[in-house]
Amino acid sequence: MNVKLLDSSKEKMELRIGESSPAYVNALRRYMAFEVPTMAIEDVEFRSNNSILYDEMVGHRLGLVPLKTDLKSYNLKNECKCKGAGCAQCELKLTLKGSGPKMIYSSDLKSKDPKIKPVYPQIPIVKLLDGQDIAFEAIAVLGTGKEHAKWSPGLIYYRHVPTVKINKQPANSEEVVSRCPRNCFEVKAKKLSVKDNDACILCNDCVEFTNGDIEVGTANDFFMTVESWGQLSPSDIMIKGVEVFNAQLTDFKKLLADVKE
Amino acid sequence: MIIPVRCFSCGKPIGHLWEPYNEKLKKGEDGKKVMDKLGLERFCCRAIFLGHVDLIDIAAQYKKF
Repeated sequence: MNVKLLDSSKEKMELRIGESSPAYVNALRRYMAFEVPTMAIEDVEFRSNNSILYDEMVGHRLGLVPLKTDLKSYNLKNECKCKGAGCAQCELKLTLKGSGPKMIYSSDLKSKDPKIKPVYPQIPIVKLLDGQDIAFEAIAVLGTGKEHAKWSPGLIYYRHVPTVKINKQPANSEEVVSRCPRNCFEVKAKKLSVKDNDACILCNDCVEFTNGDIEVGTANDFFMTVESWGQLSPSDIMIKGVEVFNAQLTDFKKLLADVKE
Repeated sequence: MIIPVRCFSCGKPIGHLWEPYNEKLKKGEDGKKVMDKLGLERFCCRAIFLGHVDLIDIAAQYKKF
């Protein structure tokens, strides 16, 4: 197996994972998307709300607001020292108070911990007209994407690296070039060649058109993209995903040792 | 009613992009270009922006029940 970094930005990271298998790459994807903990609002207690949105709707919207996550100072509730009772290491209180006429944004949420605040300050929560007001206390906790998608750190996806092979020069190479929806081919000195192998989406049009003179398939290589929703950086998502995977395998190894006796 | 916080399909946070999107449309910019600039690359997120009607100003005048 080999790994190459193709592209990296604040929100997105693209890797090429060579000589692997779909089972392995998919396991990594599942651990990153559903086992990496992030912070999200879980409970909301309303003091007042006479806006047009019901308490449940406002609560749901608040849950979906991504919060900047600090994995070092917070624990998952069931793994915390307080055994799920709720303490400063596993819970964070956020409050909001506002009256109309105005739009309430995610930036109006007041967090007890300055490090944990909404990633995007401009998310509209609810619109208040003159005379309407809203006040609530919300509790944010760490959670994982397997319980609710609001705790998922991002969108992770992969695809096979395609292989485009020209076995025999087709008779009408110009038309092959114009038919390809991804512009994979070019004609140089009347010779058809592959210009952009990685862009191919395996539509098979060139194969059918040339009756098999061109062959497309997949290699055991993958393009993997990690797109973060902002709670953690893409590289943090990858590293934490692998850490959780590793920890679960270590636990399993211990269980296996007990079974032997 | 009000712009969803996240895209229904992929989960990308999109709520904060609604106001800049509308401001730029009002200035006469092309919708496609504005969405590209805001980073809405998948058609699931784009469909939410194209189909959304902000009715909260009207609905808020009535009593909820």
